[in-house]
Amino acid sequence: MQVQTHVDINSEWGIVAARQAGRKLAREVGFGSVDQARITTAISELARNIYLYADQGQIKIEEVAEGGKRGMKIIASDQGPGIKDLRRVMEDGFTTSGGLGAGLPGVKRLMDDFAIESELNQGTVITAVKWLR
Amino acid sequence: MQVSMYRLYKDMLTSYLRDKSETALYHAQQFSKQMMEQDMSPEETVSLHLSVFQELAEDLPEEVTDSFDLLLEVMIGYGLAYREHQSLRDRQQELESELNVAAQMQRTLLPDKQVDTEEIDFGVISVPAGKMSGDYYHYDEDSVGNFAVAVADVIGKGVPAAMSMSMIKYAMDTLTDKQTEPAGVLESLNRVVERNIDEDMFITMMYGVYYPESHQFHFASAGHEPGFFYRSAADTFESLEAKGLVLGVSPKVRYEERGFRLDPGDFVVFLSDGVTESRVDGEFIERDTVVSMIKERLHLSAQEIVNELFEELEKAQEFQLRDDFTLMILRRKF
Amino acid sequence: MNLDIQVSDYENKSVAEVSGEVDVYTAAKLKETITPLAEQEDKRLIIDLSGVDYIDSTGLGIFIGALKASEKAGTSLTLTGLNARVKRLFEITGLHEVIDIDQAKREEA
Repeated sequence: MQVQTHVDINSEWGIVAARQAGRKLAREVGFGSVDQARITTAISELARNIYLYADQGQIKIEEVAEGGKRGMKIIASDQGPGIKDLRRVMEDGFTTSGGLGAGLPGVKRLMDDFAIESELNQGTVITAVKWLR
Repeated sequence: MQVSMYRLYKDMLTSYLRDKSETALYHAQQFSKQMMEQDMSPEETVSLHLSVFQELAEDLPEEVTDSFDLLLEVMIGYGLAYREHQSLRDRQQELESELNVAAQMQRTLLPDKQVDTEEIDFGVISVPAGKMSGDYYHYDEDSVGNFAVAVADVIGKGVPAAMSMSMIKYAMDTLTDKQTEPAGVLESLNRVVERNIDEDMFITMMYGVYYPESHQFHFASAGHEPGFFYRSAADTFESLEAKGLVLGVSPKVRYEERGFRLDPGDFVVFLSDGVTESRVDGEFIERDTVVSMIKERLHLSAQEIVNELFEELEKAQEFQLRDDFTLMILRRKF
Repeated sequence: MNLDIQVSDYENKSVAEVSGEVDVYTAAKLKETITPLAEQEDKRLIIDLSGVDYIDSTGLGIFIGALKASEKAGTSLTLTGLNARVKRLFEITGLHEVIDIDQAKREEA
């Protein structure tokens, strides 16, 4: 039975709760302290994006296994305004220059797999996976 | 993490804790270069430090170990910034090489064949301020030996100017052999440029033709920086000016065409404003300065004169060109 | 490199007093201010260049853009207060034949 946790993000408190849940699961899955901190930072950034741009949404974290590999998956989803220019937000220097933090390219770097789907006025779903080495 | 890094770090830290020597610190500095080469992030370094430290100093107070959680969290941000910096640097290199290819393509738009006629001594130099040039020059001998020369200057510099510069080249290519009178050439080019250029851009151009049979030189100017005409017999320079509006402002423009005879040793100078707007010690050089620099070099060939002028002005500006620089001389030998 | 622009609005004209250097670095700022003024219908635009020492070719382009905009709006553009160096630039480029230049205010320098 794989562990799965949902955290609703509608306040800064939600961000902290998501971090906490993420760090706990990362530890349980067996990640070292550096990767624990990386995964937590990634969750933190995704949750902040939801809080800042979509008002509310959800972070789901779960353990994953695939072809002998084990890891941890983060799914961040919201029903916010959506992202108009995906290429732009995935560009280095686009969000960071405005002081908005690591941004999505940062999340992508912290994790191993990264996927984003967004529809205008529908919302955004971001999936990111980190594998145990 | 690589075992070797762990070992190295442990040796370094052991040695430093033992005798607090500058040598150990020096090793640490060298080690940091190695870490960056191996793409080791700041957070990994912090974590490495803690695990080595935990092994060396047994029974660390819990507060010390815990405090590293905070440091690790903070360092992740620095690590991301560092990686982003690396990726931006890679992208800059990419852009740079793209620009190099474009600059190379642009050079192929300019004529480069040797001028080897009995009567004409010709020289030209054109150097962009950046990688790409907003200056254009042209020279060509037609089937009956008439020799056409032109210098054009697109406002601004860099890539936007360079793109308009290629327009001039292609417009020139559409001219037929019959269209060689300077005023007519500028009228045709103006029609093309006016239709294709941005509201607040324009191109200036000077176009001239030397007719060896009559030894006449004819020219017209589209708002271009005036050139010079050197009369050998009198040893004087005159300004080469003709009325005419810059290209690209108005669809129908007439250009004044002027002409005179070139006697042996006489020459004409075409230039772009990158020459006269050279700033030496913060001050623009005067047109007279350009004239006296040429005067000192009358004994040289046309190509040597333009080369030396460029070298001297480049040096005087500490090798920082503010604008694209083009200088051309056409001299009747005998 | 600084550029200062003061705009005064009258019933049938706008006057922009420009001072500083109009070059590749300041041209965008000038364009931002001048273009909307030139686009106003029923209002002439007068640009006073008394405080301008130097204009480069990019700067000249802004005046051409303003000229085209004012022609489109059915009004007129007048430049005043050109110093000798700036006036010479308009003459070399032939622009003095298409832009109205009023030399009443300043001829020296």
